[in-house]
Amino acid sequence: MPNKVIYEVRNVSKNYGAVVALDGASLKLHAGEVVGLVGDNGAGKSTLVKVLSGAHSPDGGEILLEGVERTWHNPKQALEAGIETLYQDSGLAPHLTVSQNVFLGREKFTKGIFGKLGFLAKKQMEAEAEADLQAVGIAFPSSNRPVSQLSGGQRQAVAIGRAVSWARKVLILDEPTNHLGARQAGEVLEVIKRAKKKGLGVIFISHTLPHVLEVTDRIVVLRLGKIVRDAPTSEYTADTLIGTITGTYGSDE
Amino acid sequence: MGNSIQDSQAPSLLDKVKTSFRNQSVLLVATLVILGVVFQIASEGIFLTTGTLATVLNDWGSYILLAVAQTFVVITGGIDLSVGSTVSLSSVVAGWVLVQGLHLDSSISGDAAIPYVLLAVLVALLVGLTVGALNAFLINILKIVPFIATLATMGAMSGMAIIISGGMPLQGPNDFNLGIPYTVFGVQLPISTTVLTVLIITVIAGLYLHKTRFGLYTYALGSNPFATRAAGISPARHITKVYMLSGGLAGLAGAYAYIRLGAGSPSNGAGMELYAIAATVIGGVSLMGGVGRIIGIALGTLVLFTVQSGLLMVKVVQVSPSLKQVIVAILIAAAVAVQTLQKNGRK
Ligand SMILES: Nc1ncnc2c1ncn2[C@@H]1O[C@H](COP(=O)(O)OP(=O)(O)O)[C@@H](O)[C@H]1O
Ligand SMILES: [Mg+2]
Repeated sequence: MPNKVIYEVRNVSKNYGAVVALDGASLKLHAGEVVGLVGDNGAGKSTLVKVLSGAHSPDGGEILLEGVERTWHNPKQALEAGIETLYQDSGLAPHLTVSQNVFLGREKFTKGIFGKLGFLAKKQMEAEAEADLQAVGIAFPSSNRPVSQLSGGQRQAVAIGRAVSWARKVLILDEPTNHLGARQAGEVLEVIKRAKKKGLGVIFISHTLPHVLEVTDRIVVLRLGKIVRDAPTSEYTADTLIGTITGTYGSDE
Repeated sequence: MGNSIQDSQAPSLLDKVKTSFRNQSVLLVATLVILGVVFQIASEGIFLTTGTLATVLNDWGSYILLAVAQTFVVITGGIDLSVGSTVSLSSVVAGWVLVQGLHLDSSISGDAAIPYVLLAVLVALLVGLTVGALNAFLINILKIVPFIATLATMGAMSGMAIIISGGMPLQGPNDFNLGIPYTVFGVQLPISTTVLTVLIITVIAGLYLHKTRFGLYTYALGSNPFATRAAGISPARHITKVYMLSGGLAGLAGAYAYIRLGAGSPSNGAGMELYAIAATVIGGVSLMGGVGRIIGIALGTLVLFTVQSGLLMVKVVQVSPSLKQVIVAILIAAAVAVQTLQKNGRK
């Protein structure tokens, strides 16, 4: 891989009470690279995502951004460092509008004294949210509609658009093609390819293996919290990938 | 049959009426109009007067700050049961500072009392903010759910109010004119200085809830706490602000009670939390969080006290004051039922 390592975790572990969700996982992500993260339900993919995004603190291990060790105490610190995450579920606030969700945590204020008092530039954010989502290239609904009124697919489009348009270094997508039809899922794959071209490091989680094989440079397989294989996508076939996920094909043990 | 095509093109009048009745404010205004007519008839023509309106608005002023406070809290998905005892405690502490601290009494009145009234307002506000901070501490640091945390402070604060006051009202300096409705060019208006002040605070709170980042985060937290934190917002910090706002508003309601009675009394806020919660629910705030508008709360509170004042004037039945509590409880249940019907109707 010619590009530099942009994001890395070494030996991270995470327990939920007695459940070992992550067990000494290590992962490198290069700039301009798409890494597929696959594994059965409960393998620990979403937990790794939450560690990478600052939503959860790991019980052990190291996190390095551009070679510098970092500790995230909350998601804000990771966001400010340029790491943008689409969570598997519950990424949007349903009572807020599309534009309020897109700008949540990064609001724009009106000019002058009212802006200083915290008054929001609603129209401006609506227009910019619309433009941002359009630029991402996903069909989206009008930006002043509450998210609760959108279909599952439309919500997913908003969540993806939001993550992609804010990402500066790393883009993490946890099952972004859920709730999507074939055409929309295809659009998401295009979005991932464009993010890669822009030089972002992308982590793509999906159960749809043809998608993973199509769009990734490297595939990391998680099983019961452990990384059991990390290899270039060209070294997998659909069959060996399934076998590695379920544990019936040449695991390291 | 014949007009089914027309129906599919343009909404019928009935549909339009149905849609607008799903709007809480329209529903509440309609309710007010109906209540006005019903009470006017049942009271044999004595209900709809400036005097009654002034009474209703004065009661409204006592409770609207608590309803507004509760609105912010409930939208975040929490609840603040301590607002009533905060009213008691803040009015008592304000009275204590003036009576015991500065050795003043009720002989100071009119304009001469204004500086002391302002001091009482300041003290009551500070007491309220402190109670709010305590609630936030219990919720954020000790991780106690809001219902239990504020139930605990509710008990503790009303106990403190009794201890500090010795169980008796502390009669201090006051300008009762502040609560007397204005007369302009010989015409009596239903509004006094205190009611006007509270109305202005309500409008400002409404602007903050609906137009600013503070309000947005309030909705976001009630809508999806995980997404809110994931968006880089600190839930604990916002919770602290919201409960301190609630406490501060309850403190101002304590000052309102002090000015209304000219005394800080440990019974000033007794049971007020029930009314505050009733007003928010009637006003369209969802106890599940994420939903509610200040205009609805203002109207909901007005409905509550229109019913109260109206029942006292009804000639045929004698409504005893203790029955009021029952009626408020029935109104809460009815409001929740209406909310559920509205929601189902939307689906
Ligand atoms: N918040 C939580 N509390 C307790 N257990 C959890 C929590 N989140 C995930 N787990 C458990 O951790 C394991 C890994 O879950 P997860 O990371 O969601 O897997 P995946 O995304 O690969 O399906 C599972 O056994 C799951 O039940
Ligand atoms: Mg998952």
